[in-house]
Amino acid sequence: MPEARFHIKRFDPKSGVGAHYDEFTVPYEGSLTVLEGLFYVQEHFDGSLCFRYCCRAAVCGSCAMYIDGRYRLACQSNVNHLKGDVIVVEPLPHMPLVKDLVCDMSEFFAKYETIKPWLIRTSQNPEKELPQTPKERLKLDMPVDCILCGACYSSCPSVWTEGDYLGPAALLKAYRFEVDSRDEARRERLPYFDNERGVYRCHTIANCSEACPKELNPTEGIQWLKRAAVRRRLFGRLK
Amino acid sequence: MRPEAMARHQGGMWPWLMQRVTAVLVFVTMAIHLTATHLLNIGDLSYDNIAGRLAHSGMALVDFTLLAAVVFHALNGVRMVWLDYSLAGSGRRVVDVAFWIIGVGVFFYGAWALWPWITG
Repeated sequence: MPEARFHIKRFDPKSGVGAHYDEFTVPYEGSLTVLEGLFYVQEHFDGSLCFRYCCRAAVCGSCAMYIDGRYRLACQSNVNHLKGDVIVVEPLPHMPLVKDLVCDMSEFFAKYETIKPWLIRTSQNPEKELPQTPKERLKLDMPVDCILCGACYSSCPSVWTEGDYLGPAALLKAYRFEVDSRDEARRERLPYFDNERGVYRCHTIANCSEACPKELNPTEGIQWLKRAAVRRRLFGRLK
Repeated sequence: MRPEAMARHQGGMWPWLMQRVTAVLVFVTMAIHLTATHLLNIGDLSYDNIAGRLAHSGMALVDFTLLAAVVFHALNGVRMVWLDYSLAGSGRRVVDVAFWIIGVGVFFYGAWALWPWITG
């Protein structure tokens, strides 16, 4: 039976011991995801191991971690596809740590909320649905897949140095609604991203696009928002 | 952080936009400057040649534009790096004012050096 060796970063603020790594060997048959490995460790070796998960299908974004030097979702990382003898599992870097693999996401979601991540309508809603053409829907294909895992936010050097910067996830969501033909926010959402703590803090480093486990491109969305902000302020275009 | 607090952070468009505009200006004027200086006057960077070149009002305009664009682009770039390290409130304004003073000072120093060539 094959075995997977996990090197897991541990941290418990109450223990008084600093961050360290524990090693566990997990037997498996066929295939094993990192999340399944963590379950095994929790059930058989150390019940105090702390990590977030929910859907186990790469949809909820809860189990984003830094696995073998890359941002990945634990639930969709198959150990057979990871190279090396030891699988190093760490929490998202540059985030406040709660315990073991669990980060404090409160600032991430507070920033996310500032860009009003919902459909804003000013005109009367039709009785049934708000139809879109396939071309209009195509614009949403990329940003709509964001699962708010925080990998992009954790990987962004502008976030590391500027605590107030909104970060790629919030701005990608702003882009998602700004390109939506049904959204009528016009100037309402603009002040929240059109500033130096918003889109202009992005230096197109593109770490976010590289880190995204869903292979989205937040950098592209942020660049679109910059152009849109300039068009709106200089030429008065609203969309 | 509340949305109202985020909306208070205004500005940022002009430094970002002007960085792009000056990049294009530097590219164009630098190309003209280098062509005029090193291709049309190969190996002959004499006082008379430079004086003759700058006597043309078009070339003087190119060199002044190049000077202004380079100074703005360089200092604005350094300022952006600086601001990445969270200079909030009054500290930020100090940096902005300091860079403007340095920029205007450097531009006028450059203009002062160019002026005698242009006026002959």
